[in-house]
Amino acid sequence: MAEIVLDKVSKRYPDGALAVQEVDLEIADGEFIILVGPSGCGKSTTLNMIAGLEDITDGELRIAGQRVNEKAPKDRDIAMVFQSYALYPHMTVKENMAFPLRLAKVDNATVEKKVREAAEILDLTQHLDRKPSNLSGGQRQRVAMGRAIVRNPKAFLMDEPLSNLDAKLRVQMRTSVSRLQKQLGTTTVYVTHDQTEAMTLGDRVVVMRGGVVQQIGAPQFLYDHPANLFVAGFIGSPSMNFVPASLENGSLRSVLGDCTLTDRVRQLVEGADAPREVIMGIRPEHFEDAELVEATALASGGRFTSQVDVLESMGSDKYAYFTLTGEQAASAELQELAADVGSDDVPGEGISLVTRLSSSSGAVEGAPADIWFDADKVQLFDPSTGRNLTYTER
Amino acid sequence: MAGIGGAETTGKKVGWGLLNAVVVIYALFPVLWIVSLSFKSSATLADGNFIPREWSLENYQNIFSTSEFTRALINSIGIAIIATAIAVVFGTMAAYAIARLDFPGKNLLVGVSLLIAMFPQVSLVSPLFEIERSLGLFDTWPGLILPYITFALPLAIYTLSAFFREIPWELEKAAKMDGATPGQAFRRVIAPLAAPGVFTTAILVFIFCWNDFLFAISLTSTEQSRTVPVALSFFTGSSQFEDPAGSIAAAAVVITIPIILFVLFFQRRIVAGLTSGAVKG
Repeated sequence: MAEIVLDKVSKRYPDGALAVQEVDLEIADGEFIILVGPSGCGKSTTLNMIAGLEDITDGELRIAGQRVNEKAPKDRDIAMVFQSYALYPHMTVKENMAFPLRLAKVDNATVEKKVREAAEILDLTQHLDRKPSNLSGGQRQRVAMGRAIVRNPKAFLMDEPLSNLDAKLRVQMRTSVSRLQKQLGTTTVYVTHDQTEAMTLGDRVVVMRGGVVQQIGAPQFLYDHPANLFVAGFIGSPSMNFVPASLENGSLRSVLGDCTLTDRVRQLVEGADAPREVIMGIRPEHFEDAELVEATALASGGRFTSQVDVLESMGSDKYAYFTLTGEQAASAELQELAADVGSDDVPGEGISLVTRLSSSSGAVEGAPADIWFDADKVQLFDPSTGRNLTYTER
Repeated sequence: MAGIGGAETTGKKVGWGLLNAVVVIYALFPVLWIVSLSFKSSATLADGNFIPREWSLENYQNIFSTSEFTRALINSIGIAIIATAIAVVFGTMAAYAIARLDFPGKNLLVGVSLLIAMFPQVSLVSPLFEIERSLGLFDTWPGLILPYITFALPLAIYTLSAFFREIPWELEKAAKMDGATPGQAFRRVIAPLAAPGVFTTAILVFIFCWNDFLFAISLTSTEQSRTVPVALSFFTGSSQFEDPAGSIAAAAVVITIPIILFVLFFQRRIVAGLTSGAVKG
């Protein structure tokens, strides 16, 4: 077990492409850290550099205080779980798990003992003599984990370990990965493109975009205080709604209706030297059916009326989808996010909006609904830089 | 509809069956004829009967009675096995490098090795003869093993690199992470998975060495290193009036046996789908 420090680590490929740019990251001993971002953001490259599978072009990587830039993967004493599991198909489950120990020339009795222990933790005891080809996806995934944990490495690296599993199994494995990490207390770096995994698993989350770290923080902090448009749009599902808006004398004007900024927001905006035209971001849960909101609260928010496109009742609450007339919020970050989820080629007419309403809401599909939003929860972004104008450390 | 479809498939089956039968008979008839000849006594050799009228082991006793054939058999087995082993070991390493690494001149190397394979061997025989004579390799085992390796290597490299390309790259990364040196990763993870390719290549190379006549007759002069195909052509019969066809037939039957054994032995190891289960598929 050890802490891992990335000190201005960069990766430049021979063709000049910069895959990772000056990543600064201190991972504490025993911490579970998640690297998340859309494909091609450099998260896997960063992981491979920590593993030693890719050279570090610039900067320094320290594991347990020691510079390891030049060390081969085998001398770094870290274990890795691959997306494809990469099990050795000619070996049984037992041999697969024993392989790192055999290479380390551990004596037979110890190998036997450690493999048994790992198999018990992962519930693989009855499969020890089977070959990987006879195992299900979830079992293979567990064998890959077992191979990583048998030799008590300084750190675990996981490269999208759950993305090959079906949805139900993925949720199940997610909790067991989390439990396993707590149980072993080993420093873990986990790469994923799935923001749900990032939110649920990590102690801290590193959001990356185009090889640059966007923000580092606890999942809830990233959700509540995104540093920029990209983080705001990436974290959260369904994602934050973005609407173009303009600031006029302390009030916010947009297709969602005018609203007065609360004191808290106004102070932040004034401190951030905001432009007149901004992008307003608001999460689905900060909307509510206006009929269910108390009169005092109604005044401190914005209101609009629009026809409900689609209404999804989840039992506990309802998701109402709207399409408002107006220009979509435009920024490079939002375009990239749209491209990542594959919605950039679906030209939407107007602004689409997702709202989460209480289950007691009387909204009906196809009929107009009166919707209120909480002005204090609004986040404002600079359209040119993507910076969050309402960002605060608290 | 179903009736018509059924009739069609039956018709197709019969057609294919007939075609298969023709091919099998065409391929196997000469072999059977040789076997039949080898069991005929010298008196009935030319009687034209397919099934020998009197079965005799006379021909087999003849070929094993002198050292001419047994010695050639030993030469053939020794030379072919040594050449195969060396070609496969070097071929495996070269193919691995070609499949995995990006080094300057890689395409040139593959091109040159293919060129060697395409080069007409007959045009190389005379220079080889001169070279081997001056180096003292003429009429020795190494004198045959060396050219065999030269011509078998391109074949080996080509076959094996195809197999290596099919092995998931991540397995090697995993082995590295598990603490293996590149050598260990190759020996304990990659090579076992490439085994079907290695055995296939071994069979091909062995057959090539075993069947070679051109080099063997040009680069040998005595029993010391003469291989079976050449020894066969030197069969004369026990007297000059005797037709050696019976002995040749018997020898031909004998020399197909090691090939069959070799193929059967290695074929069991050529199992498809050895890499299944390695990665999510």
